[in-house]
Amino acid sequence: MRIFLMQRWSAVALLVFLTLHMVVVHYPPGHIDVSRVLERLDNPLWKAIDIAFLVAVLTHALTGAYMVITDVQRFNVYKRALAWVGVVAGVLLFIYGTQTILAF
Amino acid sequence: MYRSTGFIAFVLRRLTGVALVIYLLLHMWVIGGINGGAETFNERMEFLGKPFFRLLEIGLLAAVVYHGVDGIRLLIGHYFQVTEYRRGLFYAVIVVSGILVIAGGVPILLFALE
Amino acid sequence: MATNGSVPTVTIRIQRFNPDVDKKPYLQEFQVKAPPGKTILDALHEIKEEQDGSVTFRRSCRHAICGSCAMNVNGKHMLVCDAPLREHLDRKGVLTLRPLAYLPIIKDLVVDRSSFWEQYQRVKPWLIPPENIPEKEFRMSPAEVAALRDAEHCIMCGACYSSCQVIALTKQYIGPHALLKAFLRVLDPRDSAPAARLADLDRGDGVYRCHTIFNCIDACPKGLNPTEAIETLRKLVIKRQAFEAARAERQRRLDQPIEVVGEAPALSGGE
Repeated sequence: MRIFLMQRWSAVALLVFLTLHMVVVHYPPGHIDVSRVLERLDNPLWKAIDIAFLVAVLTHALTGAYMVITDVQRFNVYKRALAWVGVVAGVLLFIYGTQTILAF
Repeated sequence: MYRSTGFIAFVLRRLTGVALVIYLLLHMWVIGGINGGAETFNERMEFLGKPFFRLLEIGLLAAVVYHGVDGIRLLIGHYFQVTEYRRGLFYAVIVVSGILVIAGGVPILLFALE
Repeated sequence: MATNGSVPTVTIRIQRFNPDVDKKPYLQEFQVKAPPGKTILDALHEIKEEQDGSVTFRRSCRHAICGSCAMNVNGKHMLVCDAPLREHLDRKGVLTLRPLAYLPIIKDLVVDRSSFWEQYQRVKPWLIPPENIPEKEFRMSPAEVAALRDAEHCIMCGACYSSCQVIALTKQYIGPHALLKAFLRVLDPRDSAPAARLADLDRGDGVYRCHTIFNCIDACPKGLNPTEAIETLRKLVIKRQAFEAARAERQRRLDQPIEVVGEAPALSGGE
């Protein structure tokens, strides 16, 4: 239940965050350069939004990967270990990503 | 194998999902270049600035848009009784994501061919 | 469809597999006359009696109620006793019969359904009655009956189970047939243990392994809707304590006449 619900709320969050992210950061294409990103991320609100985005995207990606792998009977035996790998990977990627966002 | 619109949607959802997880890791690695200073960042950005990768971005856009619109379809299915319209909903997903990919893809294409 | 006099002849391709001799299943062709009204099962009987006695298939009632003869006809699961031969030919006028998919083949069109029945038993498919069983009868309102959405019409043919893409990946998944039965028992006002039933479904290989592919609706020869039942169960799993409390309250007046409030919800079948 937990994984299913995590996937749903992160999906809804991503629908909002990803649309925002694509429009603000990536369009029009070719506009992406360091100065523009730096300017935007000067605002602590944008930093907070990006960190929330990071949490949602990691949750969705890791729960999704977990579901894809545990769907296969052969790998389902290792689901406990896989869940822990997912949690550790999530924490590490969150630290790395947050560090990146704060570095700008 | 039982071929139906639901099966096609399921396979596409899985393929785009796995592709997006791989992309996410790549994306974080590239942007994370800032931790190694502006030089590393620019190096990694330049690596992805080649026309090949720019064209690949259209594929990325298609994957993101399809996965997202299909997700909306699933959420609708969770909260409303729409199983009767399952085929129509799938075609609607294809049409809507097609329009969005064309709308978003043309600027990318123009930029890539510059 | 070649015409021979007034009655056309059609080609039926049957997937054959004898585990003692064959390494892999193969297709064998038979020619059968196809007068109007002849079912695919009739054709199978004709082949077995007149052409090749070793063709093996399951059938029993011939009235689409026992669920024995479910098999794959030109890519669709159906009860062959209920399927007119001439209506299911493909574009070339050929009929290809295969056993139900994803299940171990015993011989020809007969599959081993033991995982199907094992999963079915997991949901305790019987009614657990309350302590205060009324002397005369249980009373249910039309709305309560309609909420079961015809789930009791399931004949356990296995068509949904063997069309489910998740079953193709893992036999640990409980399966649409078992979830439909769980839905029937959970929503039945006479059942007294819905919370325990829902708690058993609240796990990775229970109600959350369904990926909403809708194949079970497409495959069901009775036009039932397991997917919608699973969606309902997912919502109830989360609020199962409140649901059980409401059920206990409801069962205090099991022998009372039912007040009909509002209209019965519409039935939503597959097709």
